Amino acid sequence: MTDDMNIGAMLAEQIDRLLADAVSRDLFIAVESGKPAAQLWQALEELGITTALVSEEQGGAGLAWGDTEPSLRAAGSRGMPVPLAETMLAAWALARAGLAIPSGPIAVSTALYELDNDGAISGSDAEVSWLESCDHLVAVALRGSEQHLCLLDKNTVTAEPLHTVAREPCCSIVADAVNPLASARLQTPFSELGLRAHLAAIRAVQIGGAMEQLLELCVEYGNTREQFGRPIGKFQAIQHAIAELASHTAAAQVAGQYAFRQIDAGNGDYGATVAKIRVGQAATRGAEIAHQVFGAIGFTDEHILHYFTRRLWQWRSDAGSELWWAERFGGQLIPAGGDALWPSIAR
Amino acid sequence: MAASFKFNPLPIPEEYAPLRQEVRSFLREASQSWSGWKIGHSWTGYDKEFSREVGRRGWIGMTWPKVYGGGERTSLERFVVVEEMLAAGAPMGAHWIADRQSGPLLLRLGTEDQRRRFLPQIISGEHCYCIGLSEPDSGSDLASIRSRAEKVSGGWRLNGRKIWTTNGHLSDFMIGLFRSDSSVTVKHQGLSQYLIDMRSSGIEVRPIADLTGEAHFNEVLFEDVFIPDDMLVGTEGNGWQQATSELTFERSQPDRFMSCFPLLPNAIDALNDEQSDANDRFARRQIGQAVADMVIMREMSLSILGQLDEGQTPSQEAALVKELGNTYEQRAPAMVREIFDTDAVMQPGYRLSELQTYLTQTVPSFSLRGGTREILRGIIAKGLGLK
Repeated sequence: MTDDMNIGAMLAEQIDRLLADAVSRDLFIAVESGKPAAQLWQALEELGITTALVSEEQGGAGLAWGDTEPSLRAAGSRGMPVPLAETMLAAWALARAGLAIPSGPIAVSTALYELDNDGAISGSDAEVSWLESCDHLVAVALRGSEQHLCLLDKNTVTAEPLHTVAREPCCSIVADAVNPLASARLQTPFSELGLRAHLAAIRAVQIGGAMEQLLELCVEYGNTREQFGRPIGKFQAIQHAIAELASHTAAAQVAGQYAFRQIDAGNGDYGATVAKIRVGQAATRGAEIAHQVFGAIGFTDEHILHYFTRRLWQWRSDAGSELWWAERFGGQLIPAGGDALWPSIAR
Repeated sequence: MAASFKFNPLPIPEEYAPLRQEVRSFLREASQSWSGWKIGHSWTGYDKEFSREVGRRGWIGMTWPKVYGGGERTSLERFVVVEEMLAAGAPMGAHWIADRQSGPLLLRLGTEDQRRRFLPQIISGEHCYCIGLSEPDSGSDLASIRSRAEKVSGGWRLNGRKIWTTNGHLSDFMIGLFRSDSSVTVKHQGLSQYLIDMRSSGIEVRPIADLTGEAHFNEVLFEDVFIPDDMLVGTEGNGWQQATSELTFERSQPDRFMSCFPLLPNAIDALNDEQSDANDRFARRQIGQAVADMVIMREMSLSILGQLDEGQTPSQEAALVKELGNTYEQRAPAMVREIFDTDAVMQPGYRLSELQTYLTQTVPSFSLRGGTREILRGIIAKGLGLK
């Protein structure tokens, strides 16, 4: 194991422990009613996780995306009720652009904005997670072929709160000739997707973690809930359902890891595409199976299950659903022709 | 939170690219005469001349010791060759079993004499092997087999019936599992593996037609078949462990999710046909999803190969890959039907139609062979700690 992998693993352990202690049904309820988990946020910042992707010269831990995957997966497995991933992405992007990173949580808009000659940006984004919990947001703006990374004061955009399935703070925004607090031209632009692929990859990793939680909950329930004189996990129907859940969990985790490795390898779009498609299906089947295994209680607020299944339904939809990514991918694969397919998979 | 499985990535080294190109060129040439019906058979398709050609190029027994004629190449190089073959739907059937499991069995547990006698002709593609496991009354409950091996002077006398023996009618040898000790009380004990010359006196092979009308399966009857002592494989009474020890490899490799792969490039070509109105959002989504799913399964399969190379036994991971793979494979002809509303009429000479007609009928067997879906899910559940 390389040093960075070790640091990555240690960080993941710390994150997991911290979140296991801090995250409870009460915390979910508080966050979902608009009260940010400020103490938890502070503890996370103190761990240095928010700048894990930022180079050491710029004050971060200098980890590769692949090395941060375990941490974000652990956070996903605990429901990630804070804009941790968004802030990590924002910090990474700001550092890449040579801009200073403000403290506190930072939201990410994955829409592409227009940069005018006065340096003001305009555009809109139908869904910006966690905006209300943040003072800042980052966005990519285009001027011709140039891409600029912009740091905005969240109060300078017009925001409409949204009611989402996860019920976490989320807004649609409109930026009307807004002056960024700071902006810089990216020497190496992102693809036409801007930051969307990165956020999609992040959601893939979160889903991999949440699926792990679902699996653990289902196995525990199977072993402890008794009906007809025995644990329900003794019934073949339950065993097979949970086995299918395990197969999707495994695939989701592999997908998230793959997506992060591809970012490191410079194939971020491809990795995000493949991963987001796979985890969307995994999340769909996972939630179905888990609710079936848990019966009535899992459907209610008497049990913590729905805090995870609602996040699965949310995260599969964020940064492009599996349907959006699959349609786009198919739209690339089909015109390339049948002979090009296999070489594109096995290079 | 510790999951009961892990899939550390295993990248394919760049230096294997020339090997990949070599195989690709070979296949591009060889496949020109293949019908969609033949391609649909994929790795189950028997083509002795093709297997000889593959053997001539050193692509059978690639990882085996040179002293027997093997290539001493890495398992990743073999992976590259095999996945190229699968992508083309190449008819590997005549050497598939021997290369994947019979040869490795002899290398692990066979005698030096067995290795010297039998490996070279596997490597050349000359000899075809089949597997004698299932019996009419023993499918998933394999340990309940009743075909027996009685010790006699100089060897063994085999009696019984094996069934579902793929290509038994074309095989030179069988690795068969027989009950060599009926006195044991635990059914998994007292089983032994034998290397059986299919031309032995007393063997009768009866073809069994499948639902396509073709006969690849067989029933193999043994009536007082004598085989010499030196054809026992491994240790007497250890047959169960020997037979099941290769399962992790057998369940986890790309043949478990690529059996229908040729449908994809052919479907893409059909979508590009000017006369097709099927190239819509649904089609794009389906193709995108099918390819993404495959990329992830390939990563999982590679990971397992890496773990096996490190001496681990990722049996849980293998069961998961087979479970995912079988479901994935069975989805493919359904997807093609949904995109094109293909009808149940085969258009001879049209590759997509031939593939679709063949695979529509044969995919039910994919979640049955090599361990049924139900058995695998039971294994997975147990591995998760479900009591």
